Amino acid sequence: MTCVVGIDLGSTTTKAIILDENQRVLGRGITNSRSNYELAAAVARTEAVINARFGMVHQRAEELGAADAVGRLRRAFVLEQMLHQLRHLERLTLEEVAHSAPAGLRAPFAGALSEICRRIAAEEEARFTQPPLLRSDFFRDAAGSAFMRIAEEIADPNGVSFDRLIGVYDKCIIRVENEPLDLDFRDHIGSALQRVGNPPGLADAVDMAVASDLTPAATVGTGYGRARLPFPKEQIRSEILCHGLGAHALFPETRTVLDIGGQDTKAIQVDSAGIVTSFQMNDRCAAGCGRYLGYIADEMNLGLHELGPLAEQSRRCVKISSTCTVFAGAELRERLSLGEKREDILAGLHRAIILRAMSLLARSGGVSDEFTFTGGVAKNPAAVRALRELVGENYGERTLNISPDSIYTGALGAAIFAARTLD
Amino acid sequence: MPVTSGIDVGSGAVKAVVMGTDDQGEERLLAKVSSRIRRREVAKVVDEVFHAAVEQAGAGEPDYIATTGEGEEVPFATGHFYGMTTHARGALYLEPRARAVLDVGALHTRAVAMDGRGRVLDYKMTSQCASGSGQFLENIARYLGVSQEEIGPLSLQGKNPEKVSSICAVLAETDVINMVSRGITTPDILRGVHDSMADRFARLLRSLQFDGAIFVSGGLASDLGLRAALKDALDKRMPADTASREVVTHPDAIFAGAIGAALHGGFRHRKLQRAAGTRAEAD
Repeated sequence: MTCVVGIDLGSTTTKAIILDENQRVLGRGITNSRSNYELAAAVARTEAVINARFGMVHQRAEELGAADAVGRLRRAFVLEQMLHQLRHLERLTLEEVAHSAPAGLRAPFAGALSEICRRIAAEEEARFTQPPLLRSDFFRDAAGSAFMRIAEEIADPNGVSFDRLIGVYDKCIIRVENEPLDLDFRDHIGSALQRVGNPPGLADAVDMAVASDLTPAATVGTGYGRARLPFPKEQIRSEILCHGLGAHALFPETRTVLDIGGQDTKAIQVDSAGIVTSFQMNDRCAAGCGRYLGYIADEMNLGLHELGPLAEQSRRCVKISSTCTVFAGAELRERLSLGEKREDILAGLHRAIILRAMSLLARSGGVSDEFTFTGGVAKNPAAVRALRELVGENYGERTLNISPDSIYTGALGAAIFAARTLD
Repeated sequence: MPVTSGIDVGSGAVKAVVMGTDDQGEERLLAKVSSRIRRREVAKVVDEVFHAAVEQAGAGEPDYIATTGEGEEVPFATGHFYGMTTHARGALYLEPRARAVLDVGALHTRAVAMDGRGRVLDYKMTSQCASGSGQFLENIARYLGVSQEEIGPLSLQGKNPEKVSSICAVLAETDVINMVSRGITTPDILRGVHDSMADRFARLLRSLQFDGAIFVSGGLASDLGLRAALKDALDKRMPADTASREVVTHPDAIFAGAIGAALHGGFRHRKLQRAAGTRAEAD
């Protein structure tokens, strides 16, 4: 099968999309960005290929009447990947302790680390038997929060303290993330099949998926810090072009695109072919991009995905007077101490980020019909509501398109560019 | 003799002092306590810091509790004083030659010009962006894995300061990662950040008229690297008369606002007492 890959190396996450020769999406993959760009791109691509193979497994299993088991197989696979990384983390932390911990502490330190890893593994195994819960599947997030929680429980302030445990974790997680690990379909699908009890039909479907050749005929990369992307120059397209084309592919009537990513916000105008006619980007300032909400979530000790739903409960939106993210964080604390409601302040903060986007949109040429909202912030219901209101007030009725896969818009555009290089 | 307390509620830390008058009628610092707020509730930190200072002083409950900074809402305070006046008064107490104060806090930096009695003549503040603030420097140090105490000494070693203009305090992490990956050393990055901050501060000070030394107060006063960078920046930006280029500070400079508040509180307490005495006579 001829396929192409598009990769969008963002400041927060790296996304990959794999298309077949008819520009149909075969698979999507995402991972957290890290200092090793090349590895981040490779991991996202591997995830996209895994996703594509599972698509094939599903299709084949359906024909064989075994489709119901595919969801469980997918989760078993993710579990095996997780356990593999956890074993690696344990190995690195034990090595680190053997090298650098005070001699008297080494034995209890190593014991505590193994205990933490054993408990995380047990929690993950137990989680597999229960209905799936929404959470981040990035190893750093999933293992990190569990590690922190268990370390707090078993830490001994006068011996192997919490600070020591976290110190070793911080040091080793970076290495786990920046070393290539065997996380491919082939590496873990066997044990995942065993875990779900080798249902009849599934093994055949898996064999077929393993055998398909998904080596890309072309790859195009885009994203933040484009100059440092690990691709040859001719395989790189600007983020603006990729987002414009990606949005056009998702919603062909798109004329205006707003992309709010982790560290930048783009307002783009495109023509009927998805070609960019004008655009505006924010300066290097966190106010008005996704990091703004991330900072606020950290300040409130909330997960990023909790912010939007909480803000949606507001009855009275507070007007935030600070622009700067750090100042808004201080304003948030001040307002909380004055007794204002958390949800009302949050609603104000969501409105503030969208107001910044509105000024970018205005400078790029306004909001035309249809209007497509992409990037990580498009997943946030409170941000979407604020955008809908403000666009309605300023430009009148507009069709607002949001795809559940909007975070992959840039990667999709890049993949289409890759397909065009084959013609 | 009255005992007064001053509480300076900043955006990054809470500082409290207790002051009393000795036999010669001189005002003395009896206790000082400060604590970083981090993500705690400000009211609790204020409580904790205030009570620790009162206990440390061992002089009983204060007769007057003066707040300054963002301390308007402290429920047990007797009175509140504006930050400019308390910093001026506190700086003069710590260094009688001071005629200007540069208060470098977590979010804001203020430059105040004053006369020989600590009266505020003029002031200037930085803009509404955290780039170049104390918080900004702290973020960068954290990304570099450098502790607060190490910042100054490392910065002094910087030979080729990296030019850092206005970097967003929140997005600085990526910028720092990029600098590190370009092979720029930690001392050069820190010195570059100090230079950029100092340049901004020198411009604030240049727009004020004062005749004497510049007293650096606030949480960053103890940062040797920042003070060295400030001296260089003043040499470039200030007129050539030496008096307004001298940079001074004091080990207790972080308490300047709290000290000033306690002194103003003591003054107001004596006035109130006298007024009460006059009323009692009239009755």
